[in-house]
Amino acid sequence: MCEWCMKHGAGKKWYLNAKNYSDELARELEAEAYLTEQWRNFEQVFIRKIAGFSSIGLGYKLRMPLIGRVLRWNAEKMIHSESRNRDPIRADGHFGQVIPLEDARIILSELAAEPIIENYCMCRWMQRNVKDVCCINFGVLSGVIEKLPRFVPEGMQHLDREKAMNRLTEHNEKGYVATVWFQPVPYINAICSCESPECGGLRLRKDFGLHSVYKAEYVILLDPDKCQGCKSCVTMCQFGAIRYIPSLKRVIVDYNACFGCGLCRHACIHDALKLIPREDFPGLRGMY
Amino acid sequence: MNATRIAIDYSKCGEVGKIDPRKCGKCLKICDPAVFLMHQPLHTQQDPFDPQVWRITAVWLSLCTRCMKCVNACPEKAITVSW
Ligand code: SF4
Ligand code: SF4
Repeated sequence: MCEWCMKHGAGKKWYLNAKNYSDELARELEAEAYLTEQWRNFEQVFIRKIAGFSSIGLGYKLRMPLIGRVLRWNAEKMIHSESRNRDPIRADGHFGQVIPLEDARIILSELAAEPIIENYCMCRWMQRNVKDVCCINFGVLSGVIEKLPRFVPEGMQHLDREKAMNRLTEHNEKGYVATVWFQPVPYINAICSCESPECGGLRLRKDFGLHSVYKAEYVILLDPDKCQGCKSCVTMCQFGAIRYIPSLKRVIVDYNACFGCGLCRHACIHDALKLIPREDFPGLRGMY
Repeated sequence: MNATRIAIDYSKCGEVGKIDPRKCGKCLKICDPAVFLMHQPLHTQQDPFDPQVWRITAVWLSLCTRCMKCVNACPEKAITVSW
């Protein structure tokens, strides 16, 4: 379990704690006002100056000797902020974690607060000019998004839980990584189906090592006896964590690269891939 | 290696240019590392819930490989990549 489970999991994983989805918590955090500000200005987060720096050329800035370290420290602090006066325009306190389809289905069937909607992915919109209906939002966030025409597909309706689970399953099988989000921590109101490099959260994590998205509580386990070396799974992994090895005539997993999303399993017809808890590998414990 | 700079000529694309990046978006789609971001300009007065003025900024400059595909894809020749 990660530090956020310790803080907000009530003995479980953070995203399985029902309290984090409640309307009472949303009220207590004044989440509606926060989310309205955050979402109205969503596309501007990377161009705004935050503590004197915008994200433009972030890779270069992070490489600057002292400034880079200060910047990284500041960014991590902002991303995980639980302070009362966090700034929604900078998305303070907004971060998430990769989850496998099974956990996403538990959230949608039992935990997500209604109403549940499905809207355009804002990352794919602002980074690719593509409108893809695949972000499942719920609770107070749904009402906020309904006021923002650019994220609202024509004829958008509230989804029942069954439909939401079916949609999420479709996205996952297609190759989008499921992620669950605090926004702002500890209030949970979104399950995204992410694609790299468009996803802003995965971008900060994969390209710049910031903890905007944590790896899943799981990693993939390959059964070398079952693997037929067909390479199908390789095409599913957005993290480059699986590679075919000719000498062994099978794939191998780079466990440090694996985010535990479980997508590769959809491709394997030989049942050679399973997710296991990250904690089961002592060397991967705590490596979120 | 020098830092890469990518300038967009906003007199051609964006708030005063004749191209609305939401309708074009060629640079966003052609760039494999997705260096470009489409956003509402800061400090313009417009409907905060339904902004109609958009522009492009190259944000993730350190990931640019200087392949020049965006320069060639832009119908208005609004993009300059330099280093
Ligand atoms: S190896 Fe499988 S579980 Fe791990 S990141 Fe790649 S697709 Fe996801
Ligand atoms: S899809 Fe299954 S059988 Fe094929 S290479 Fe991957 S693990 Fe092996």
